[in-house]
Order: sequence, then C-alpha cells, then structure tokens
Amino acid sequence: MRDFCAMSATTPPRAEIGVPHRPLRRGADNALLGGVCGGLAIRLGVSERAVRVVTCVVALLWGVGLLAYFALWLTLPRTGEDRSIAGRLLGGRNRLRRVAVAVAAGALVLLVLHPFSEALLGPLSWAFLLAALALIVVWRGATAEERQRLEELGRHTPFLRSRAESTRTWALVRIFVGLVLVLLGVRLAALVSRRVDGGAPAAIFGTAFVLAGVVVLLAPWWLSLVHDLSDERRSRVRVEERAKLAAHLHDSVLQTLTLIERSADDPGQVTRLARTQERELRQWLFGPVATSRVATLAGALDALVGEIEGDYGVRVELVVVGEATLSEALTDLVAAGREAAINAARWSGAERVSVYAEVEPDKASLFVRDRGRGFDPATVPEDRHGLAVSIRERLAARGGTATVRSAPGEGTEVALEVALA
Amino acid sequence: MRPRVFLVDDHGLILAGLRAELADHVEIVGAADEVAAAAEMILERRPDVVLLDVHMPGGGGEAVLREVLVDAPDVRFLALSVSDAAEDVIAVVRAGARGYVTKSISAPELLEAILRVADGDAVFSPRLAGFVLDAFASEGHLGEAEVDPELNQLTPRERQVLRLIARGYAYRDVATELAISIKTVESHVSSVLRKLQLSSRYELTHWAVERRLT
Repeated sequence: MRDFCAMSATTPPRAEIGVPHRPLRRGADNALLGGVCGGLAIRLGVSERAVRVVTCVVALLWGVGLLAYFALWLTLPRTGEDRSIAGRLLGGRNRLRRVAVAVAAGALVLLVLHPFSEALLGPLSWAFLLAALALIVVWRGATAEERQRLEELGRHTPFLRSRAESTRTWALVRIFVGLVLVLLGVRLAALVSRRVDGGAPAAIFGTAFVLAGVVVLLAPWWLSLVHDLSDERRSRVRVEERAKLAAHLHDSVLQTLTLIERSADDPGQVTRLARTQERELRQWLFGPVATSRVATLAGALDALVGEIEGDYGVRVELVVVGEATLSEALTDLVAAGREAAINAARWSGAERVSVYAEVEPDKASLFVRDRGRGFDPATVPEDRHGLAVSIRERLAARGGTATVRSAPGEGTEVALEVALA
Repeated sequence: MRPRVFLVDDHGLILAGLRAELADHVEIVGAADEVAAAAEMILERRPDVVLLDVHMPGGGGEAVLREVLVDAPDVRFLALSVSDAAEDVIAVVRAGARGYVTKSISAPELLEAILRVADGDAVFSPRLAGFVLDAFASEGHLGEAEVDPELNQLTPRERQVLRLIARGYAYRDVATELAISIKTVESHVSSVLRKLQLSSRYELTHWAVERRLT
C-alpha cells in the first residue's frame, strides 16, 4: 500500500497531463509502482495525485482497488511498449496451453487457501494475497527495463533488502518471519475484538507480535539509513576539514615560502621567517585548541617566545607547568621574563634560550636560562644595572624576587618569582 | 664501543639527514620507513637503540614499540618527533620508549641522548620533564586499584631533578647544582621513567588528552 499511497508525496517528473484522447497506457516516466495511476491520470486529464488518493481509498474497501490496480498492471501495456505483461506471458505459440496452466494454477491456489479463508483470511488479506501473486506474475512478464525499475524501487523500499544484508535468502527469511509475526498479532487482536473473554493478555500479546514483526521488517533498513547518514556526515566533515587546512596552509606556509624566496640572499631573515613559521605551524598542529580568549600565563609566554624567536633568530624552548589566568602579578612576571629573555638572546651568543615557568598555589616562578658566554655579576657596567634594578623593584612590590646567576663561560640564569594571592 | 642504531622514519629526507649526522659516531644497522617493515627488521637485527619517529601511517611509533617489545624487551627506543603534544609524548613513553626528544635537537645532543639510552638510562627533554611535573602535580586523586602507591608520587628529590631539567639544565649541570653524582641523577630520571610507564594514575592519560582541550 505504501508504495502507491504514501510515496505520492515525492512526485516524479510530470508527464503531460490534461491532453485527452490518448490510448490508455501505463505511465513510464510518471510511475511510482506500476505506472497505472499515472497512466489513468494522463488518459483522464486529471492530476496524478487525485488518482492515487482515490486508488488508495478504494484499496481499503475489501481490497477492491488493490485488485483493480494489479489487473490493470497486468493488462495495460506500458507507454512505449506494444504488449501488456499478460499479453507477453500468454502470447506466443503455446498460447492455449499457457492460459490453461495459468487458470489451473490459480484454481489450485484458491482451492488450497479456501479452508483458511474463514479462520485466517479476511477479504483484505485475500486481496493482498492475490496482489502478491500478481506481483510475481508481473515480475515474470516484465521487460528488462521495467524489471530494472522495480529492482531500483525495491532497493529503496524499507523492508525488501538493505545494504546490511549480504544475501537475498536472509532478506527473504527476515521478511517471512516479520510477516508471520504481524499476521499472528493481527489475528490475536481480531480474536479479542470478537470475543471479549480472550481478555487483556491476548491484546497485549497481539500488539507485541505486531511490534516485533514491524521491528524485524524495518530494522535493517533503519540501520542502513542511519549508516548512510553518518557516512554522509563524515564525508562532509572531511571535506570541510580539508578546505580549512588548505586555507590555513595558504595563509601561512605558502605566504612565508614566498617571503623566504624573496629574501634568499639574507640568511638571517630566512632563518627568522622559517622559525616563526615553524612555531606558528607547530602551535596550530599540536598546540591546545584555542577555545577561550581568556589571557593565561602560558598564552602570554607563548606570545613572548614568538616575539623573541622572530626578532632575534634564537630558538626559545618554553616549558610551562601548571596554568593560571593572567593577573597583575603574573603580567609583571612575564614583563620581567621578557627583559631577561631579550638580554639572553642579545648578549649571550647562545643559539637557544630555555624558559621555564611553574605555577604553584602560593607563587609563580619563571626561569630564563642560556648557555652562552655568561658574565661576572660583580662587573656589570653601570648602564646595565638599571635594568636589573627596575625588574627587581617591580617584582619586590609584588612580594617577589629576581636573582641572576652567571659566571663567565657558564651561561646565565635569571630566576624570577612572584607571590600569588 | 659504538652502539648499533636502527632508524625508523617515514620521511626519506629525515632518514638521510640522521644517517649523515650520526654515521661517524654510531653504527647504523638499518633503517625502515613503515611500521611493519620496521618491526620485522628490528627483531631480526637486534640493534641497541632504535630512533623512532612518533607519527607514521599504520599506528605510528607506538605500533612498532608494541610489536617489538613483546619479543625483544631488551631493545631500547628513543622517540624522535616534531610533535610536542603531550598526548603523543606520554603515549610513546607509556608504550615503552626510554626517552623523547624533538627533531629540533642539535646533533651533539642527539648523539648524547642515544648514548644515554644505549646505556640503559632515560632521556628527558625539558619538555618531557615539564609534562611529568604537570601530570604528577596534583596530590591525591590516585588510581583505584592501588598496587604500589610509590608509583604514583614523585619524591621531592625527583621533583628537584625534573625541575632543573625543565629549566634547561643538562644532567651534569643538575649533578653540580644538587651536589650529587651524574649516576645519581640518571638513577632518579630512570626511576621517574619507570613511574611514568607503570603508574596507574588515571590523570596521566586524561591529563595528556585534556591538555589539548583546555
């Protein structure tokens, strides 16, 4: 039923409607199932949807519409074909014998099913049964083109076959089990409605059977639908990621490479550019995902390292243990660290400067160390004293200290500390 | 005696560069650029030290570690990577690497690290030391099935050593600073490595993953 009722919501490309005096044919390009409704709509000059709705309603009257539909399916030629399915099956040389066999087979089926008609089969069930037989006949007689269309339809129909099922046999077994459950459930419910003494248990069982049947019928389809959706989502995400990556590489790496090419005769500039780019790319690839704009100690130090690596062409190795949002005390600490790191980059002659920061509950410390030429703190010229003093006083105001340890040839380490409230 | 070194990296340029830098000082017994071949050749040639790239298709350095260490627990691994991400560092060390250095390391330092690993010691870069301090920072919060609580705490001395390493001190500088022998420094670092590998602190993994998300 679903096939030619519910599915009418998705209207296929419209055929010419309202052009009268055409021979009655089944529609080819406006067909949902067999094209009967589409063909009628064209012949009668009314909308397809109207014909479909009427057909569905009539189908509910003891299955009359259903039987009519299949009768027309079998006897009307498809648009563009000159013979109907019945004609194709019954035509040919042994026409008489074939008709005889078909009638005999039909009679046999009716005879076998007759005893069940009272107990199990209502008029609607009969209609369904005959429709199912008709469908088999349709399949036998359909042209390759129509078969292909039906197969396509079957692939998209909920309970016929899903990607999750590898073999047709399994699909058939599942459909059979599902249908049996549904039928049993319907029978139980019908029994209850006829004789009240069956009581609640039968009704509950009936409902349970129907539900179980529906689940068995529809589960694989639902699963594959879900699967398709997540597949689709995944590939979309992948495409977006790729676009983001390409945009980023273009803005950063490609630009820098161009700059490097242009300054090929200035080794210092090349080194600086390469360092800065490396840092930036590393941060992007491996760094923490920047979710908040809150300034933190690690963030401030990171920016500081970038600045010094860019300006002085030294490598700064930064290690941060613990983390805190940037308070005034920590801002002073970073500013002092900046002076120390710039001094190291400028005067030590070392290729690498180590910066280590640690946040503890009551204090934060920052160490800037190089393994460069070092100096004797006792012989620092007057004009460079000022710097150390200003740093020291600034930190002292925050309850902190600044200590410089250095010796010629040993490198320098500046230890800075502030108290945290 | 020159240590026998095996190189694993999926970038041909890096392999060539490492060969050029190391060939005069160590015996390079082979190189591989993918996980399966690397595991097979390492098991066959039994080098003293494997220089292992962390990021490779097919499971990366971690996969090589897992495959080799089951059959040859005596092969020592030094992880070498461009990544400074905590989860990568912690993952390879937990998988059995005896050290972790980044590819920006200078040639003499790399050689020193190789010799140290060949001797059975651990190699902690400042970055790795910082990670360990961070991961072991919080007191309490121990794993549930506590077999050996010792494994989940650093001793004050180990903390001191790690702090100095994080500050950029070489092992011998650490020894001078703390007035202990280099051997003692090495044994502290090895002990930290053991804790890092065997600790049931659930924070280690969680911390490493969360570090990227905060």
